[in-house]
Amino acid sequence: MAAIIEVDKLTKSYGSKRGIAGVSFAVEEGEVFGFLGPNGAGKTTTIRTLMALLRADSGSAKIAGLDCWTDSVQIKRMVGYMPGEPALDANLTGGQILEFFAHLRGSVDRTYLKQLIDRFELDTSRKFRQYSTGNKRKVVLIQAFMHRPRLLILDEPTSGLDPLNQQEFDRMLFEARDEGRTVFLSSHVLSEVEKTCTRVGIIRDGTLVRIGEVAEVKAIKRYEMTISFADAVPLDTFKSLASVIEVEALNNGHGVRLTMQGPADAVIKAAARYPVVSLTSYEPSLEDIFLRYYEADGVLAKEAQGVA
Amino acid sequence: MWLSSVFLKSLRDYRIAILGWGIGMGLVVVSPMASVTALITTPQAREQLVSLAATFSWNADAIAVDTVGGYAMFKIGIFIFLIAVWSLLAGSRMLRGEEDRGSMDVLLSLPRPRLNVALEKLAAIWTALLAMGLLIGLLTFAGGKIFHGDFGLGDALLFGLNLALICAVIGGLALLISQFTQERGPAAGWTAGLLLVFIVVDMVHRVAANTEWISRLSPIYYYNLSKPLVPSHGANAGAMVVLLALALILGGLAVWLFVKRDVGGTVPLPRLLRLPERRASRALPARDWSLRSVYARGMGMIAMPTVWWTIGIAGFAGWMVYVVQLMEAKLSGLLSGSPTMTGLIKNLGGGDVGVNAGFLSAMFFFLPLLLMAFAVTQVNRWSGDESDGRLELILATPRSRPEVLLGRFAALSTATVVIAMITLLTSAGAAAAAGLKLDGGNLAAATLGMIPFGLLIAAIGYLASGWLRTAADTGLLSFVLAIWFFISFIGPELKLPDATLRLSAFYYYGTPLLHGLQLTSVLGVIAVGALALGIGTLRFVRKDIGV
Repeated sequence: MAAIIEVDKLTKSYGSKRGIAGVSFAVEEGEVFGFLGPNGAGKTTTIRTLMALLRADSGSAKIAGLDCWTDSVQIKRMVGYMPGEPALDANLTGGQILEFFAHLRGSVDRTYLKQLIDRFELDTSRKFRQYSTGNKRKVVLIQAFMHRPRLLILDEPTSGLDPLNQQEFDRMLFEARDEGRTVFLSSHVLSEVEKTCTRVGIIRDGTLVRIGEVAEVKAIKRYEMTISFADAVPLDTFKSLASVIEVEALNNGHGVRLTMQGPADAVIKAAARYPVVSLTSYEPSLEDIFLRYYEADGVLAKEAQGVA
Repeated sequence: MWLSSVFLKSLRDYRIAILGWGIGMGLVVVSPMASVTALITTPQAREQLVSLAATFSWNADAIAVDTVGGYAMFKIGIFIFLIAVWSLLAGSRMLRGEEDRGSMDVLLSLPRPRLNVALEKLAAIWTALLAMGLLIGLLTFAGGKIFHGDFGLGDALLFGLNLALICAVIGGLALLISQFTQERGPAAGWTAGLLLVFIVVDMVHRVAANTEWISRLSPIYYYNLSKPLVPSHGANAGAMVVLLALALILGGLAVWLFVKRDVGGTVPLPRLLRLPERRASRALPARDWSLRSVYARGMGMIAMPTVWWTIGIAGFAGWMVYVVQLMEAKLSGLLSGSPTMTGLIKNLGGGDVGVNAGFLSAMFFFLPLLLMAFAVTQVNRWSGDESDGRLELILATPRSRPEVLLGRFAALSTATVVIAMITLLTSAGAAAAAGLKLDGGNLAAATLGMIPFGLLIAAIGYLASGWLRTAADTGLLSFVLAIWFFISFIGPELKLPDATLRLSAFYYYGTPLLHGLQLTSVLGVIAVGALALGIGTLRFVRKDIGV
């Protein structure tokens, strides 16, 4: 597959404030790409640069081979965009807003638009100012999907949606993926990214710190293992093992909680020398991995050496 | 300390308004004092002033208008609308505004009774009004001292107190109405409408005999009963007590209703007064013309303001054309006794003040000023749309940035043309009704000729919005407008050099009612406007949006 988004050494600063610095990545056509990072990390700056709302200081950003800044009108024909903090004319109804954007986009299939309205059960007769946060998000989501864009760029799309509408959103995302369309979504709801994305990029302080398959990112595990024994066991048995980072005694020495990174083989063999009552291992969630990237730089470097 | 209670926090929020509105309105009261001495230099002129004021008695009681205090009270008669604007907005915003923003939920989550919160907020508004009244009173006293008024400090403070009381009534009314509306805007709109009705109802007894009982229905009537700046008339304690009672009743009723109703909800109206219930719908307004393009949407946004500004501008022009012949004799007598006013009218109008067209020409000087003020409000809207992020999704559609900017500018241009055309038609109609002979071509030049000036300030505003945030942009434009006005209004009397006078856009408007349009000047204004718009568009194309 060819890359539909190509970002190369993209840099954008706001005067003395940092925006993004030297961000490079590519998103292939047809994939669902998650862009992760906490507030202020540079997710929205990257997205707004892709949408030609910001002009990059240096580097390049291309969509479908077209330059995001100079060919922005052509690009926007194929893109559906949902901003993180949508602001619309508060005195228009939801229906008026959708009709207005349908006219601005041109060639929007009204039947499909009505289907989207039905799917999200949106009351289009209410003024935008009267909508709840979730309904406001629905209006903006529908306008992003209504022209069946080749590429969807969604900034924190599910923030404010209730679980039922989040499920509907997931279904729409999967449909878009199945139809071969590309989705680039930013989020800090990591379980959502884990569920819907094929690849993720993690951005921190304006710099992309990791990019890879969701499964690959999860492989840099720091996981926990809890082992219960019939008798008390000396902690030194596990402390010296290569994969073990931290050991904590439980139940007066009748159990241990191990924080681990890497293969468990040595731990299993060491534990087998004692009468084991139970053994439980916890898979790291993407949240755990994500949080580790925001620990001190030293920790990050250690992990990067071991895994990347 | 200022954040230690709801009362103090609310008062803190009003601190800039207290200073700005208090000083601003104080200057509005003082400004007529400056001109009265120039108007009564001879006994004949004094007589003419009294006679002319009587012609305008529908506006306010013409009592002792040949004194500094009496003239000031007479002149600010209709300005009560302007003075009451702050209390009207503050009253409608006091509770409903907080509910709109969602901040009321947080405030009421504190262990504090709802009644206390509402009362503290109401007390803050009343305190702010008293502080404004004090400032206005002190400035009025200072003005009286400078221009040799015959009223004392106590009279001036009573004048300020009377203003504070009528404002508390209007604010209380807005607060009460806001208990019945879902948003603060309609509450402010309804109150403004009622205020206009009250002003008109108060006028009734001054223009028709035996109708005082009708005027008694208006709170403005009780405000006007007190004339503390006219020592022979003084304040009317009974009327002031009526205003105080009204303010307490309206404010108290509003607070009582607020305590009883749902936060975010409204007081249920009787079935007969309720609007039909809105049914949920999933339909799209496919036939709505205003949603078809950026230009059409711009027209939809500007439509209502255009209607109001058209009424104001065309109404002003039409009224001046209609009344100029009726007051011709009195006016020429008055102006002949006042060299200052004669000079001013001549500078603005470009002709003999004894001629109707000369006086009218001077009055028409205000038309481009008003149209430019309208343009400033619309530039403010454009700039606000960008800084509040409302352009972001529009610019995410396949529309180029110049198309978006020029679409909005085209809508503003259409509105200015509509205002000018209706002003022309109204003025021509008024001239025909009054039997006044005006040169048709010059009248068209005077009305349609203001279009380039409205567009010039708009183009400068669009240009400046490429760098400035909304408030700074609007502030800059207002400053430019004020400077231009000052140069053209006062400049000739101050004998400013011609080069300085040419810095004002009004210089190029000239005196079209007398001398027709100066084509070269207008073309020059159009060229400067086009240049500003062109650079503004280039800047908008290159800039970061919403940063």
